[in-house]
Amino acid sequence: MKSILAAALIAAAPMAAFAQEAPSLSLHRFTIGGGVVWSGGYDIGDQTAQLRGNGPGPSAQPFTLFTSESRLTSAISPDVRVVFAMTRQLTLEFGTSVRQPHISVAIDGDAEAPSQELPGEKLEQYLFEGGATWQVPLSIGDKRAPASISERLAPFVSGGITFLRQLHEDRTLAETGQIYHAGGGARYFLKGGHGSGRALGVRGEARVNFRRKGIDFENKTRIYPTLTLSVFVGL
Amino acid sequence: MTRRTAITLALLLTIGSASPHAYLKLGAVVNGRVIAATWKQQPIGYFISERPGNGVTPMDLLAATQRATATWSGVPSANVRFAFQSMTSAPAEGIDGKTVLGFIDRPDLDRVLGATSFMIDTATGEIAEADIFFNSRFAFSVAPNGQADRVDLESVVLHELGHLLGLGHSAIGETERNSSGSRQVIGSGSVMFPIAMMAGATADRALQPDDIAGISDLYPAGQILDAGGIVGRVTKNGQGVMGAHVVAFNPETGILVGNFTLDTDGAFVIARLPSGPYILRVEPLDDAEPDSFFPGAIDTDFRVTYAPRMIVAPSGGSSPTIEIQVRPK
Repeated sequence: MKSILAAALIAAAPMAAFAQEAPSLSLHRFTIGGGVVWSGGYDIGDQTAQLRGNGPGPSAQPFTLFTSESRLTSAISPDVRVVFAMTRQLTLEFGTSVRQPHISVAIDGDAEAPSQELPGEKLEQYLFEGGATWQVPLSIGDKRAPASISERLAPFVSGGITFLRQLHEDRTLAETGQIYHAGGGARYFLKGGHGSGRALGVRGEARVNFRRKGIDFENKTRIYPTLTLSVFVGL
Repeated sequence: MTRRTAITLALLLTIGSASPHAYLKLGAVVNGRVIAATWKQQPIGYFISERPGNGVTPMDLLAATQRATATWSGVPSANVRFAFQSMTSAPAEGIDGKTVLGFIDRPDLDRVLGATSFMIDTATGEIAEADIFFNSRFAFSVAPNGQADRVDLESVVLHELGHLLGLGHSAIGETERNSSGSRQVIGSGSVMFPIAMMAGATADRALQPDDIAGISDLYPAGQILDAGGIVGRVTKNGQGVMGAHVVAFNPETGILVGNFTLDTDGAFVIARLPSGPYILRVEPLDDAEPDSFFPGAIDTDFRVTYAPRMIVAPSGGSSPTIEIQVRPK
């Protein structure tokens, strides 16, 4: 019985701190935000240019003309999102972003040319995202300060899905895919966040992304990071 | 008056170096313009000569030819049909109104396995007749898995039938000089490469993407919506490069399809590519004798160069023109 009571007290303590100190977006209100997102690069496939070898029978050791290693480069792009606070902890988020990474290609193994990295093809990526954040209770503030960090900072975990549309440089071919993400971050309220007044703040988030389909020469799921920094304002 | 000209064009599949004239597609000059020489009437009727070969019978040649014609006809994106007429006592040469395949002993052509000659209507570009001879100086084989020291007949038939259909030579291949000074294939990406593989090899019984793109360009089977072309120029010091070999490589599928710059502006077209992005590699024509491809002088004084970016062959269309600048060696 004692152990059950102790557990209940431990569980209740952070909730109490959350309720008293943690800021949050206004319930059942929209917030808009804008900022920049850095998207990490990732490999999109290796391939070998092979010729049939010359030997007896139907097949012989193939001859390698060259190999290619393709990679989507990192990119920094604008990020826009709309957030709706379902509860004090749960928000729904809808965002969009336009990115312009390059496909760089490393050429190797060519007997007649040096190894080299081609400058690459510029892509246009359109991302349409839907997701949710769950504000987690955290009390790290110095209660002696009148506006402590704990009264301004609202950490969260996030998850969602993104529709991806990629256009090659000449805009003659488009490919689509999906991105699933999980991550976390925090909102730092410069103003508001405690039920009165319009909220204004800064939002930072780090994600791990799992991209399926889209431009990929091996049709693999790729994992890459993103970092977002934005400003938000309540409506 | 019908203006028909017997083109004394002999397209040779060789062991070692030789000097036939060809382009990727055969051309006929019609009203001052070069147009592709093709068969307008199909199926293409052919006869098999009754003369035996070295180690094979006329019926072996018929069977190998039927397999090879089925291979060309089996390209889904091309419309090619053949029809065997009969065995014939006519030789596989000369103008007689018959398209004949057969063996001829040509000891003077000591490196030529086979050759195709044409009669082309120079008013329309239509191929009116073609003959293919296989050189009896060489020992051929029709063994299912090849036979050491004997040249695979079906592979040679498949190559020569490509010429008969209007394809020239492809340069997708790598060679090295052997001790006797002749070229030896170390890798090939096309049945239409002008130098044959070693005796006993049977890899050239199967068409490669380069062959399929070429035949699909000559005899397209309807509108191909999932294929596109890449167009561009190869330049050196601001001037067009004539005779540069441009190879398109798909980094997803690994296919290789090539063509040449065919004018002094350095312009090239690689048609009938499966849509998608391609890496372009430009090389001088130095893995076969240049006159295996071009009757005149071409520029081979430049380094192997890659296009600075991938370029997309769009579905049902062509890419914007890409310029690839090469540097002298």
